[in-house]
Amino acid sequence: MNLLQRDRPGAPVPAAVAAGAEAGAEAVAAPPTAPNRLRRALAVSEAGVIAALAGLVLVFWLLEPAFLSGTNVRSMLTAVSFVGIIAIGQTLLLVAGEFDLSVGSVAGLSAIIAAWLMTKGNLPVPLGILGGLATGAFVGLINGVLVVHVRIPAFIATLGMLYAARGFIYVITNGYPIYPLPRSVGEIGSADVIFGLGWSFVLLVILAVIADVVLRRTTTGRNLYATGGNEEVARLVGIHTARVKIACFMVVGALAAVAGMLVLADGASGTPAIGTGWELTVIAGVVIGGVSLFGGVGTVAAGIVGMLLLQVVQSGLVVVGVNPNWQTVAVGLIMVLAVGVDIARRRMSLAGGAS
Amino acid sequence: MTHVLETERLGKKFAGVPALKGVDFRLHAGEIHALIGHNGAGKSTLVKILTGVWPAGSYEGAVKLDGAAVSFASPADARAKGVAYVPQEIQVVEQLTVAENLFVGHTGLDTAPRVSFRELRRRAAELLGRLEIPIDPRTSVAALSATQRQLVMIARALTTDPRVLILDEPTASLAGTETDRLFAVLNRLRAAGTTMVFITHRIPEVMRMCDRATVLRDGEKVAELERSDFSERGIVAAMVGREVDHLYPTRSSRHGEDEVLRLEHVSVPHPLHARDVLRDVSFSARRGEIVGIAGVVGAGRTELLSAIYGALPHTGTISVEGAPKRLKTPADARRAGIAMLTEDRKGTGLLFNFALRENITAGNLAGLSRGGWVDRRGEQSAALGFIRSLRIKAPSPSSDVAHLSGGNQQKILLARVLMNAPKLMLLDEPTKGVDVETRQEIYRLILDLADRGVTLLVVSSEIAELVGLCDRCVVLADGQIVDEFRRGEGSEARVIEATTTAVATGAPRP
Repeated sequence: MNLLQRDRPGAPVPAAVAAGAEAGAEAVAAPPTAPNRLRRALAVSEAGVIAALAGLVLVFWLLEPAFLSGTNVRSMLTAVSFVGIIAIGQTLLLVAGEFDLSVGSVAGLSAIIAAWLMTKGNLPVPLGILGGLATGAFVGLINGVLVVHVRIPAFIATLGMLYAARGFIYVITNGYPIYPLPRSVGEIGSADVIFGLGWSFVLLVILAVIADVVLRRTTTGRNLYATGGNEEVARLVGIHTARVKIACFMVVGALAAVAGMLVLADGASGTPAIGTGWELTVIAGVVIGGVSLFGGVGTVAAGIVGMLLLQVVQSGLVVVGVNPNWQTVAVGLIMVLAVGVDIARRRMSLAGGAS
Repeated sequence: MTHVLETERLGKKFAGVPALKGVDFRLHAGEIHALIGHNGAGKSTLVKILTGVWPAGSYEGAVKLDGAAVSFASPADARAKGVAYVPQEIQVVEQLTVAENLFVGHTGLDTAPRVSFRELRRRAAELLGRLEIPIDPRTSVAALSATQRQLVMIARALTTDPRVLILDEPTASLAGTETDRLFAVLNRLRAAGTTMVFITHRIPEVMRMCDRATVLRDGEKVAELERSDFSERGIVAAMVGREVDHLYPTRSSRHGEDEVLRLEHVSVPHPLHARDVLRDVSFSARRGEIVGIAGVVGAGRTELLSAIYGALPHTGTISVEGAPKRLKTPADARRAGIAMLTEDRKGTGLLFNFALRENITAGNLAGLSRGGWVDRRGEQSAALGFIRSLRIKAPSPSSDVAHLSGGNQQKILLARVLMNAPKLMLLDEPTKGVDVETRQEIYRLILDLADRGVTLLVVSSEIAELVGLCDRCVVLADGQIVDEFRRGEGSEARVIEATTTAVATGAPRP
C-alpha cells in the first residue's frame, strides 16, 4: 500500500523547522474573501457537473414526467452500472496519467473465459469468476508493461489490445454464445438486492466509494495524483511511478472483468459481443465528469457523475421522443462542450488567482 | 566609422530585474568578435535581441545594421535582414540528408510547390565546396559526427548570405582536433569577408581566433578589447569585477571529520551521444561540510548531482558513510538519506495539480500516514510549520503554487527537501530566480543545516556565492574536475580562470 516506506528516526531536522511543524493549526491565513470562496466552490471538480446533471434531469422531467418513473430510473441506474464500474478504474488510470482503450474487449474476454471455465472447464462458479478476474488483471498487466517498460504509447498499446482481446473471444467461441450457464449465474444476474436494483448497481456503489476514498485519503491515491501531475517530479520524490501505473492498468483490467461478468450474469449467456463499444462510452463519461486526459486531475465521484449525465441524456432523449439516432450526436456534443467548459473554468480560476 | 552591427544603450528587464543595462555593442566588418561573460552576464539576452527572439519594442535602446536603425520582429525577420544564428545545441533533422538539412525551412526553394531535389543537391554541393567542407550532400545526417553536424548547421546559417553570423558556443560539444577543423572553416569564412560573433567560455579560443572582444558582466559592457590588448589575465579580471563582499553570512562552526559522501571515478554517459557529460570524477564530503560545485552551464554540475541522487545512470562508485550504495533510482537515494533540490522549479520541482501543502509533503507521506491513510491534520500542521519557519508568503496551506513568487516557490521545494530529513542535501542553483531577501534566508538556512551536521553540495552559477558560503569548492569544466580549493584559498578570479582556460582535451589539474 505505502510505496514510500522510509523511516529514519534521529535524522537531523533543523530545530526551527521541527518546532514549527509541531506548532498547532492556528492559521497563518486570512479568512477567505467572498470571491475567493466562490472560486473555491467552482474549483471543486464535482460542482459543475453535478449542477449540469441536476439541470438535465429537471428539463427531461418537465418535458416528460415519466422520465423519473421508478422503472425508468431503475433501468438508467442498471445501464450505468456496468460501464460505471469500469469508469472507476479508468478514472484512477487517467489520474495517474494514462488511459486504456481495451476495456470493452477485456470485459468481453474475461466474461467469455469465465463462462468457458464454468461450462467446458467444469469448474465451480466461484473459480470461474476468479478466472475471469485473473484474465482482466493479467491483460491489464500486459497493457501496463507495454506502456511503461516497452514505452509504446497507451493509445497504440491498448488499441492493439482492443483488437487482440476481441479476436481471442472469437477464437474461443467461434462466434457462438456459450450457453447454457450454471443456474446460479443467472440467479446472480436477476437478483433483486435493493429497490429492485441488482448486484451490478450495488457493486458500483461499493467499489466507487472505496476507490473514491482511496484516491482522496490514502498515500496510494496521493502517489497517483503525483504521477499523473508530473511523472518526473513523482520519480524524483521517490515514487515508483512504473509500479503505480502498472497497478492502475491491472485495476482497470480487473474492473472491466467484473463488469463483463455482470453482463454475462445479466443475460445468463456468454455472448461474444459483450463490452463492444464500452471504451469510448467510459472515456466520454469520465471526461464529462472533469477527469483530465492529461493526468493528475479528477475524482472517482466526478467520473461517476459524468457517466450518469451521459446516461440521463441518452435515456432522456428516448423518453422525450427524439429520434434515437440523435443520441450519438448528443453524446459527442456534450463531451466536447464539457471539456470546453472545463478548460474555460480553469483559465478563469487561473486568471482570478493571479490577482 | 560605421559598424556592420551595433547597439546603442541596449537595455532589457525581466519582471523588473535588469538583464541588460545600456550596452553599446560594436561589430567591425569582417572580424571575428568574441562575446564573453559568465553565466547571467547578459550574453544570451543580447544575442536574443540581435536575432529577433526578443522583438523590437520589448527592449530599450536601438539596434543598427550598417548604420541604419532596424527592428527585428522575429528570428525569421532578423535572418531575412542579414543576422544568422547558429545555436549551441546541434539541431539537425536526422531523417533528412545533408542537402535537405541545409535548406530546410529556408526561402527560395520552399516557395515552389515542388521541391527539386536535383537543384537542392547542386546548391548544397556548391555551398559546401565554397566552405571546403568535405561532406557529400547526399549523406544522411544521422551518419555524421558532432563536428560535421556543427559544420552543417553553420552552412545552413550561410544559405541566406547573412551580413553577420552569430555562433553560440560552437566548440562546446567538440573535442580538440574537431575544434581545429571548425576553426579552419571559420578562418576561410573570415577571409571571404563574413562578420562573426563568437560566444565562448574558453579564453584560449578567444586568444587564438578572435580579432576583438566584448566582455559583459551583470548586464553591462565592462570591456571592449582589441586583439593587441588580449591577455588571459586581463579578460579574467574584466569578467570578475568586484571582490567578494560581505553579503554572505559566515559560519561559526567547523564541519566534522567523518566522510559522508565519497565518489570514485564516477562518469555519466551522454544520453544520446557517444561521450561522457561527467568524466572520472572523484571527491568526498565530510559531515556538516558545505561543498560548492562551480562551473559554467553544461559543465556537468547538474549531472553530478543527478548521478548521486540516482536520477541519472552512472559508472564508478558512490559511497555514503563509508558504504558503497547502489543508487539506481531517486527512491534508493532517499533511502540512503540523500535529498535533492532541482534547478528547474517548474519543470521538475513543483506539482501544479497540488496545493502548497501537498507540494511540501509529496514524497514525505511515510511519516504522515498510518497504514496508508494520510493524516490530513498532521499534514496541515506540518505545512503550517514550514510556512512559518521558512516564512513562506502564501495565503494558506491550500494555496495554489502557480501564482507564488519564485522565492516562495523555492521555499516550498526546500521545505519538501527538509521534511525528508536528509543527511546529504544536493542543492542545484538554490538561489536562482529568487529575490535578495529570500537569498539571504537561504544562505542562513544552508549554514544552519551544516551546523546541525547535514552535508551539502551546492551548485551555483554565482561564483561569489560559492566562494563566500562554502567550506570547499570543486570546479567543473567539460565534465571534469579542473580545480579544488578550501575556504579562504579561492576567489572568483580563480574559478573563472579554471573554467575558462580548461581545454576540452586537458587533463585535470593535480
